Amino acid sequence: MSIYAKKGTLSFPFLRLTSKSAPTAGFLSPEGGAAVTIRADGSDKNKVLITSILFCGLSHILYLKQYVKGILFALIEVIAIINIPKFVKALHGLITLGSPQPDVSIKLRDNSIFMLIDGVMALAVIFVFIAIYVISVKSALKEYKKFCDSKVFTSNRHTFSELTGKSFSLFALAPTVIMILFFVLVPLVFSALVAFTNYSAPDHIPPKNTVDWVGFQNFIDMFSGKTAWTSAFGKVALWTLAWGFLATFTCYFGGMLMAVVLHESKIKLKPVFRSIFILPYAVPSVISMLVWRNLMNGSFGTVNRTLIHLGIIKDVIPWLSDPWLAKFTCVLVNLWAGFPYFMLLVTGSMTAISRDIYEAAVVDGASKFQVFKSITLPLVIYQTTPLIIMSISHNINNFGAIFFVTGGGPTLADSTTTGAAGTDLLITWIYKLTINLLQYHYASVLAVLIFMVLAPFAIYNFRRTRAFKEGVE
Amino acid sequence: MNNPVVRAINKAVVYLFFLVAVFFTLYPLVYVVSAAFSPGTGIASLNILPFADGFTTEHFEHLFRNTDYPRWFRNTFIVALSTSFLTTLFVSLGAYAMSRFRFSFRKPLLMSMLILQIFPSFVGMVAIYVILLRIGGIDQLWGLVLIYVAGNLPYNIWLVKGYLDQVSKNLDEAAIIDGASNLRVFVQIILPIIRPILVFLSITSFVGPWMDFIFPTMVLRSPEKQTLAIGLFNFVTDKKNEFTNFAAGSLLIAIPFVFFFIITQKMLITSLSGAVKE
Repeated sequence: MSIYAKKGTLSFPFLRLTSKSAPTAGFLSPEGGAAVTIRADGSDKNKVLITSILFCGLSHILYLKQYVKGILFALIEVIAIINIPKFVKALHGLITLGSPQPDVSIKLRDNSIFMLIDGVMALAVIFVFIAIYVISVKSALKEYKKFCDSKVFTSNRHTFSELTGKSFSLFALAPTVIMILFFVLVPLVFSALVAFTNYSAPDHIPPKNTVDWVGFQNFIDMFSGKTAWTSAFGKVALWTLAWGFLATFTCYFGGMLMAVVLHESKIKLKPVFRSIFILPYAVPSVISMLVWRNLMNGSFGTVNRTLIHLGIIKDVIPWLSDPWLAKFTCVLVNLWAGFPYFMLLVTGSMTAISRDIYEAAVVDGASKFQVFKSITLPLVIYQTTPLIIMSISHNINNFGAIFFVTGGGPTLADSTTTGAAGTDLLITWIYKLTINLLQYHYASVLAVLIFMVLAPFAIYNFRRTRAFKEGVE
Repeated sequence: MNNPVVRAINKAVVYLFFLVAVFFTLYPLVYVVSAAFSPGTGIASLNILPFADGFTTEHFEHLFRNTDYPRWFRNTFIVALSTSFLTTLFVSLGAYAMSRFRFSFRKPLLMSMLILQIFPSFVGMVAIYVILLRIGGIDQLWGLVLIYVAGNLPYNIWLVKGYLDQVSKNLDEAAIIDGASNLRVFVQIILPIIRPILVFLSITSFVGPWMDFIFPTMVLRSPEKQTLAIGLFNFVTDKKNEFTNFAAGSLLIAIPFVFFFIITQKMLITSLSGAVKE
């Protein structure tokens, strides 16, 4: 007794005896083995906490009599411990990225890219283990609290049924978590990391050569170091932003014009016209874009041949081979493909506007144009703003609208080094850098930049969702 | 306004406007249809007037006899169907767990999905390639399916979770109290409730793979594993110009798409205007 009291004064809270009569549980008698006994008054919280931190699942086995759960947790920790050498090796590889071994045959050399990806994957797995550890500690504390409340241990059988109940969410989410982890998160981290290496042709392509960390060198190259790259980047980035806005607003106002005229006109063939105007939306975009590419071709395209035949032009118009005209063509073709979406959208939100407002305006003697300008337009714009913003971020990444129409071309003076041509967006440039030029390091720099450009749009988007407004509950 | 002349002019202007718009809209489409049935190969040899070159079905025969068109179609169909099925399955399970259960790391998981869905999956192209290389998924259709499904998950789980959050929990809670297992609640109560959004989800995830170009070029190497987008694209590269074959192949894809669209039009517009209201 005096020992307890003494220890209590030494402030070992988990050994302090607060109440003699508190029910205890354990293998031994209440007075006997304090090591495997806990009190139900909440005073042994730290004991549970420390044992559960000491080894995953230990407190479940020792104190809480939940052998199945405890052994499962312990097993996970054992697996983690057995694999420690592997983790260490992977992390070491991640840091060093291997060393050049010119005297070894290519197959046996260090493959930096495999080391990089293994390192990132090892980090992901370690992260999962830590998460499980935290879950086990939390679970132990929760079980202890339950024990304190009810003074009885949850029997193993009960635990089992609870486990199948709770494990449903585990099984339901496991495939999702694993797939997102390895096919979304790991690739993103990887490509962010590649931006800080020299992974590029011709001198740093594994397995022949190794790749090294170079810090911010690629960012410096891109923004101020190498003239060709800096100027290419400037052009592409500006055009990407301009494209995002131009493509969206031409489609938006084109679609709105169609919607309003269809809405206001009293002609009989309205449904026929509407179905025709929806067609571009229904045709898969790869097909329609490739068709446009052929129609607009400078030398043999139908558009030029028709114009010449009609005597409107004498020489061919370089729709796709003049840098500025090619940009215009892209916007025009995108207008063709994109206006139906906004036409549907504006029609939808116009029909949703209450009739009363219109009637009130007509009673007040407003003209048709006034009604449109002061009622319809503001309401429609207000309702569709979120979708305009989503559409801008979609267009910034609109690979197909550029790649299939112009292929990014026409080529400019320094296109051979940088790969960036007249109508390339950041995204098509990334594609070329990765697939054709094998300049992975610069491609990753651009990918990181796209993150940054898209983040504000995404944040805007979250903020207006109901889930965000109500808090992530 | 009541002057008949003004009204007639008005009407004429509106008609003129519509005719110009219809011309602009139909121009490329009519040309594809006409090219698909015209003799010849390149677009340069085609008459500038549609349907002025005569009529032939040789391009369709060529597609099925001399090219891998049926195989591309089959591959794409398999990929699209599996993507659609797995996306719908995992998303509905995940959304159910996220909406109805409380467990450790639920909030961090939700938040990270919210952040991850910003980035288009081709940003991690190189890494995805290496990971597929390590698990043997290169040049395999399932490798492609894996990429699509993983890319679909974060956004769509949020979408369906949001939908499910708005549905009262009374029904499934009552079933749990009556002793139904979670799996049964999921199959018999949750799935019917979220059916409308699942239909939308399965359609959008089915349509996506048909026209994706980036990942098939990266993952699929051998000619017999190609998908339609690559196959069609290869008809009209800079090296060869088989516009008529391309048109025939495209027409066969576009027709079901257009019909499909007309059938699901009402639902699409509803979901679009639903997005407006939010």
